[in-house]
Amino acid sequence: MQTLTRFLGNPVALIGLSLFLLVAAMALSAGSLFPNDPLDLAGRPLQWPLGNPRFWLGTDVQGRDIAAVIFHGARVSLLIGVVATLISMTIGVLIGALAGYYGGLIDEMLMRLTEAFQTLPNFLLLLVLVAVFGSDIKTVTIAIGLVSWPASARLTRAEFLTLRSREFVEACRTIGMRDIQIIFREILPNAMPPVIVYASVVMAIAILLESALAFLNLSDPNVPSWGNLIGGGRAVLRTQWYVSAIPGVAILMTVLAVSLIGQGLNDALNPRLKRR
Amino acid sequence: MRFFLFAVRRLAASVPTLLLVLAGLFMLLQFAPGDTVDALVAQMGGGDSAMMDQLRKYYGLDATATVQLIRYLTRLVRLDLGFSAIYGKPVIDVILERLPTTLLLMASALSFAFAGGLALGVVAARRVNQWPDGVISTIGAIFYATPAFWLGLMGIIIFAVNLHWLPAGGIEEIGTGYTGLRRAVDIVWHLALPTATLGLIFLATYLRIMRASMLEVMTLDFVRTARAKGLAQGTVLRRHVLRNALLPMVTLVGLQAGTMLGGSVVVESVFALPGLGRLAYEAVVQRDLNTLLGIVFVSALLVICVNFLVDILYARLDPRIAN
Amino acid sequence: MRLTRRDLLVSTAAAALAGARADLSSAQEQPKRGGTLSVHLPGEQRILNPAIRASTGVYVVTSKIVESLVDLDADGKPLPVLATSWEATPDGKTVTFKLREGVNWHDGKPFTAADVQYTALELWKKYLNYGTQLQQYLEAVDTPDSLTAVFHYTRPMPLPLLLRALADLGYIVPRHVFEGTNILENPANNAPIGTGPFKFVQYERGQFIIAERNPNYWRKDFPYLDKIVWRVIADKSAASAALETGQIQLSTYSSLSLADYDRLKKDARFEVSSRGIEANAFNNTLEFNVRRKELSDVRVRRAIAHAIDVPFFIENFLYGQGRPATGPIPSSSPAFYPGGDVPYAHDLRKAEALLEEAGYKRGPDGTRFALKIVPIQNGEDVPLLATYIQQSLGKLGIKVDIVNLDIAGALSAVYRDWNFDLATGWHQYRGDPAVSTTVWYRSGSPKGAPWTNQWGWQSDAVDKLIDEAASELDAEKRKRLYADWVKQINEELPIWMVTERQFIAATSRRVQNHHTSPRWDSGDWHDTWIS
Repeated sequence: MQTLTRFLGNPVALIGLSLFLLVAAMALSAGSLFPNDPLDLAGRPLQWPLGNPRFWLGTDVQGRDIAAVIFHGARVSLLIGVVATLISMTIGVLIGALAGYYGGLIDEMLMRLTEAFQTLPNFLLLLVLVAVFGSDIKTVTIAIGLVSWPASARLTRAEFLTLRSREFVEACRTIGMRDIQIIFREILPNAMPPVIVYASVVMAIAILLESALAFLNLSDPNVPSWGNLIGGGRAVLRTQWYVSAIPGVAILMTVLAVSLIGQGLNDALNPRLKRR
Repeated sequence: MRFFLFAVRRLAASVPTLLLVLAGLFMLLQFAPGDTVDALVAQMGGGDSAMMDQLRKYYGLDATATVQLIRYLTRLVRLDLGFSAIYGKPVIDVILERLPTTLLLMASALSFAFAGGLALGVVAARRVNQWPDGVISTIGAIFYATPAFWLGLMGIIIFAVNLHWLPAGGIEEIGTGYTGLRRAVDIVWHLALPTATLGLIFLATYLRIMRASMLEVMTLDFVRTARAKGLAQGTVLRRHVLRNALLPMVTLVGLQAGTMLGGSVVVESVFALPGLGRLAYEAVVQRDLNTLLGIVFVSALLVICVNFLVDILYARLDPRIAN
Repeated sequence: MRLTRRDLLVSTAAAALAGARADLSSAQEQPKRGGTLSVHLPGEQRILNPAIRASTGVYVVTSKIVESLVDLDADGKPLPVLATSWEATPDGKTVTFKLREGVNWHDGKPFTAADVQYTALELWKKYLNYGTQLQQYLEAVDTPDSLTAVFHYTRPMPLPLLLRALADLGYIVPRHVFEGTNILENPANNAPIGTGPFKFVQYERGQFIIAERNPNYWRKDFPYLDKIVWRVIADKSAASAALETGQIQLSTYSSLSLADYDRLKKDARFEVSSRGIEANAFNNTLEFNVRRKELSDVRVRRAIAHAIDVPFFIENFLYGQGRPATGPIPSSSPAFYPGGDVPYAHDLRKAEALLEEAGYKRGPDGTRFALKIVPIQNGEDVPLLATYIQQSLGKLGIKVDIVNLDIAGALSAVYRDWNFDLATGWHQYRGDPAVSTTVWYRSGSPKGAPWTNQWGWQSDAVDKLIDEAASELDAEKRKRLYADWVKQINEELPIWMVTERQFIAATSRRVQNHHTSPRWDSGDWHDTWIS
């Protein structure tokens, strides 16, 4: 509870939260404000914002209402961000917990695996995964989750290494608790705070990775994503630069919101640093 | 001597990981639809199947995946990275041609990010919760959240196309035959925008880490002791705080070495730089396995080297670790 | 009549002015020697040898260094280059070429018929894409003397077809450089040696190619330029920026984005047009996988064609660059263009009626059935058309999903694995339907051969027409056969040619004597100069 109070008292966190709520509001209201399929041809392509009262953000290269794509795209970006982060954290925490708790050979093997994934530049691995498994949105999301787990694994492992030698763990073992129970019911809840903070970083990275893929025309074209808009607008960058600029601002806002929330969480969980 | 042995031992420890990565990537790419002959034919705009069969045999693609992997690994043991399908040259030559550009870009972006992050982080920490801190942290947060390719594109629009201050792309003016200092200046001018693009985004991270690290260290006992002894703020900063605060920064350099190569794919594509990032992207699209694996191999070596240097630097900064 | 002083003054002034004007105009016509032409190179080719790789990407560079037997003149007729004259026997099975005297390779050795013999039999026939097909009935090349090459075919070869095709598929490389070597690994594939107006100097991968003036070129006093530099710029916006800042003076074969061409049109510094590229026309295609039950019914295919508003697409997505196609033979090919109307005009009601007739009613959510479309990404307009097709067919009740693959994956999915319902890409017409067009319709292409008939459709009547036309020596009869053929394939519609387009070039007005023949960008530029 104290954490929550500290979080809400932090201006940085508040800005992040309000931005995030703005994006979430866009996502939720998309269906009612823009009931038609945002990928449909809405009007003549490349109309400037405010030029036509029907399209207050203009139309893109394919005649789509940019405002509709931005609002519906909020859903997609948030969904990709959340799902990819969940996948990434699940894998990472699992591997990190097992490695940190058991140590020895298991730790050695799991750390080799982690090192292998970290040696490979994550964007390259993403390119390969997309080339092999395709560009539809489910595959892209899973692929993003698959390339971003190593850091959370290391983080979790570090926490587990410190925590497993604590007295309360000894106590659990003495009363005969099974390993699984100890890992997930006792140690993990204590290890979570830094991991949760890192989740915000992962989410930011996930959204940026998807937009980079879309920019290179490697993402799913059947889904209204901000990255696809930027990629499509690349061809008309010199004249109708708004097609790429607007979704870029949207991405910036969302990623900013997520990282500010993360920063706020970090500050709230480590009150020592705020003492000036 | 001991140092050298340590280095070799480190390298040897990474070998199984490296082999795992390369073998894994190789097998993964076998499942990609289409092969390098399809990509070649696409580039040419047409081709008949007799020619394609002949090319497949030529590239050794008619053997099974396992056989191809064994062939690749046997060559690798002899440090032979194979032949590039795209360029018709040994992979090692192709990589060595592109390596300098990427190294230059990464080194400049890293230096810019490190130095800038350090300076701004110190300022923000010293004026924490006052307006300089607020401004610096906000700008840092915004750059952190900016997609690199978008920043690059905006940079080209503003500085190259509209203001004509900087070139729109490339690594140097070709056909001019500049040498020596003139050439160096030309390259610097061409690398300005790409370095700024990559650098600004990483600067945001270093800034945050430095600030947090400084704040953490400044509350520690030995700093309070130093102040209590009457040492000036500046001396305290330089002699005690900075050294310790640098540790996480240095670690970050090691962690980010791999990410930078990934980031360079997009930046090199936007600025048309002949580097390894774009070569890797081309290798994926054209299914040139030898080149892609070669790049991964070289980048892994690079990451290992950087982490090694980081460890040495870390030991220097924190004498407790050296043992 | 007395000449007044004023008359004298006026007449002298007039004479002087006339003289000065004559000087000025002749000064403008006088080509300037020297200078460097910088050209945009959008992508790199693995092999820079036009005798084994037929592609405009190769010609843009190598046709200045390596020459062909013939080229095209300003009217599109065969122009003698390395061959000075030609003659065919009445049965069409023997073609004799007289070769040019006094031509030397860049390494000093003389050009002879032996080079032609070697290149034709060993390279064109065995390695050259489209060349293997063109020369499949070539059985021998005799060299009765060092400047005569006699081509012997086992089936009649129409001379106009051969000459038109040789402009692209007739490049000659030195025998003494390639004979006995591993052709694909020969270093001359990246450092071409030819007879052309420019000599290869340097190829810096990923950056540039440089060629210099050949002082011993057989066309005396040519070329005008000192140097040509091809700059590798993969990114389109970077390329148009380079054009505007003067780093390059020419970008051709639609290597810039359509939006940039549209914008540069209004810039007085550049000429943006399809002048000089008429020989290379292309279509946006819509390919049907006829194995799919719904698509096996021709009514469904026709309904799909009727559902696309092509003029709207051209106007709004292609900036007006193009026109609806009437078939695979473009209107810029007068020797074969059969004319006629667009076979399937935009008519949504007709489309709906056809689908109802074929038995595909709308379901409760308005959908009749679902299809997957694979875009084969030759150009930026391909994904635009794929999306437009998705949007248009959506109105018809056909739900379309776009499968986004990179080009190797797309080619393999469509032409090898047959893993598609619809596909869209480019069909390139190379001057004569027999070169690379009829192969899209003829049965018998093996699985995996890209840009061939892999639709699961075949027609004996169409096959027969194609084979007949390929060996018909009478030009008029040939044209009629192809007209019949177009009528048939439009009726059966295994694939639909959606648009007919020309490539676009953007050239700085400082460049003179450019785009003076229908395949100028793939020509030798010996008379081009910079003011």
